[in-house]
Amino acid sequence: MSSPRIAALSVACARSFTFALAAVIAGMMCAPEIATAQTSSMFSNLANPAIGMNALFSGLAAHNLNQPYGMQFDEAEISLISVVDPYWTFTSNIVFTPDGVDPEEVWVRSIKIPSIQLKLGKIRGTFGKHGLLHTHAFPFIQAPIVMSNTIGGEGFKDPGLEASWLTPLPWFSELTGGVYQAVGPDDEHPLDLGSSRHDNVPYLGHFKNQFDLGGETTLELGQSFLQGRGSDGHRHAAWGADATVRNVPATSSNRHGWILQSEYLQKGSFVGGSYDREQDGGYASFQYRLSQIWWAGIRGEQARKSFTDFVVDGAGDPVAAKVNRASANIAWMPSEFSFIRFEYSHAKADAGIHPTDDRIAVQMSYTIGYHPAHAY
Amino acid sequence: MKSLIRFMFVSMVVLTSGAAPAFADLKIATSLTDLASVAQLVGGKHVTAQSLCRGYEDPHFVPAKPSLMKAIQHADVFVSTGLELDAGWLPLVLPGSRNPKIQPGAKGFVDASEGIDVLEKPSGTVSRAEGDVHPLGNPHYYADPKALEVVADHLADVFSRLDPPNAADYAANAKAFDQKMEASLAKWSQQMGPYKGAPVVTYHKNFVYFAERFGLKQFGTVEPKPGIPPNPRYLSDLADRMKTEGVKLVLYQPYYNADPCNQLAKRAGGVAVKIATEVGGVAGTDDVFSKFDVLVSSVAGALSGKSGGQQ
Repeated sequence: MSSPRIAALSVACARSFTFALAAVIAGMMCAPEIATAQTSSMFSNLANPAIGMNALFSGLAAHNLNQPYGMQFDEAEISLISVVDPYWTFTSNIVFTPDGVDPEEVWVRSIKIPSIQLKLGKIRGTFGKHGLLHTHAFPFIQAPIVMSNTIGGEGFKDPGLEASWLTPLPWFSELTGGVYQAVGPDDEHPLDLGSSRHDNVPYLGHFKNQFDLGGETTLELGQSFLQGRGSDGHRHAAWGADATVRNVPATSSNRHGWILQSEYLQKGSFVGGSYDREQDGGYASFQYRLSQIWWAGIRGEQARKSFTDFVVDGAGDPVAAKVNRASANIAWMPSEFSFIRFEYSHAKADAGIHPTDDRIAVQMSYTIGYHPAHAY
Repeated sequence: MKSLIRFMFVSMVVLTSGAAPAFADLKIATSLTDLASVAQLVGGKHVTAQSLCRGYEDPHFVPAKPSLMKAIQHADVFVSTGLELDAGWLPLVLPGSRNPKIQPGAKGFVDASEGIDVLEKPSGTVSRAEGDVHPLGNPHYYADPKALEVVADHLADVFSRLDPPNAADYAANAKAFDQKMEASLAKWSQQMGPYKGAPVVTYHKNFVYFAERFGLKQFGTVEPKPGIPPNPRYLSDLADRMKTEGVKLVLYQPYYNADPCNQLAKRAGGVAVKIATEVGGVAGTDDVFSKFDVLVSSVAGALSGKSGGQQ
């Protein structure tokens, strides 16, 4: 590109940027709103933030795992939520586990920009469906195997900036874009986005549409894409698609209902000009609310070229395999603030020294203080 | 320099458009159907009001569907029930709307409980050992006709601030609302007059404002504690107490489980009656006035023994 063209483009970009900046700043500074805005919160009228804590305990009996049967402490999550000022709200979830303390989420959210919501900080990236859930909100005790082989067992959680736009379409249609810190692979980051090159800015796109099918049933469709450059110099990417049909009867919204959900995720890399699919898989689950205090669910899943705890070689080292797993659980929720649930799963793998795996798990969850409602 | 001028011009245009109040057709969204009904009656032809919760839905447990966020994306005013009745779902729906006009603290966010004489404000320690209690007091004030007069006056003030050219209409509508409510209240009080002191059992403690207004006695609740479903032992004990005290009437809203109510009434030798404390809860309750017409007729009819109400 010639220099004059670059210069012209730079000027055009500068003008567009100036225009956009002016519009955003002006939009945020709606004078009458500011004049009366207060730092009041719907969570608390006090100066202190709304505080809550959730604790998770579990027990696992898995013959193939080299660990004793019995109970264990999983995590305690403390949440602090409040309004920062007339422009931002603040959310933090600090997780304490036997391995240490993790500032899992610490972010602010804009409240003054029409139709657009900004999230800034250490956020749970808007990728997929299961990846948006906190551990105690997982529908099954064990996350789908594909999660820890693609974007992370508890989703994609990195520092970044996300903007989500509620489009003018007549139904709920949300388009989200985000950029994140470059983070290399580790236990929580199966996707290598850790290149130190200056042009490496991992980015995400998410498109979600939700339709009301009558007054009680909804259909939600989502597509997600995440890409960045890895520490090996190659581009790495993950993409996913999800579909959820949910029914909540209007006259028994806290006693009955069901959720039919499926999701597919894939991770791959671009090497030598071609795309190499690495791990992929998906699940389909059905949850049914039997009464105000009982839930039951079943799930089938498959993960390919994937690693999971019972698939090991003779030396005990993990090996990749195609794994099929079926799970069933039942949960007792005597109130909104506690539950105990039991889960059985049966899995088959085409590699490793354990061709099958059967296990029973139990999990208990307790919540005190303020706890924000879970997303629909 | 040109960029600076363009920046200032764009800012002024957007600021000006943002500063201009919406003169025509305020779009009102509410948590509850009763609040939408009051808003529509006070706003008249200048507003359109819709409720996110339907009258036959439990206002504690409204599913925070994304479509609700979409429904209020362009609302000018959001009227919350307040007292944390909608705290289980509104904190998701409001931010999800990306509508800065109706976020808490903005001019368009209204807590309808302001000015209400709140009943059952906890005086001691508030603990979830007592169930899912409302720490700010009982939020079901919309079962009291007088409380809705307070809401009407409050909304007239809000609408007048947001839409000054029509302030006189809002004030006149609110005054007419209050006058009609007072006249209706006299009629309803006459209907309920013979039953002062009559004991009733309700599923949840969402009838206390009505009971207080018309002199009924809240004998007990079908749920042992707020949000906790009854077990057979509790129902058996409650039925025995009802028999002993001669309590014959069990009231429940359409969103509660009718089975334990009917079992309880049967064991106590009484009757269980489905009632609507929210507009749209049962047929014929299209606004707050018809709601109370039907509610008073149902309760009075059931207490008289001549009518089983709307079972």
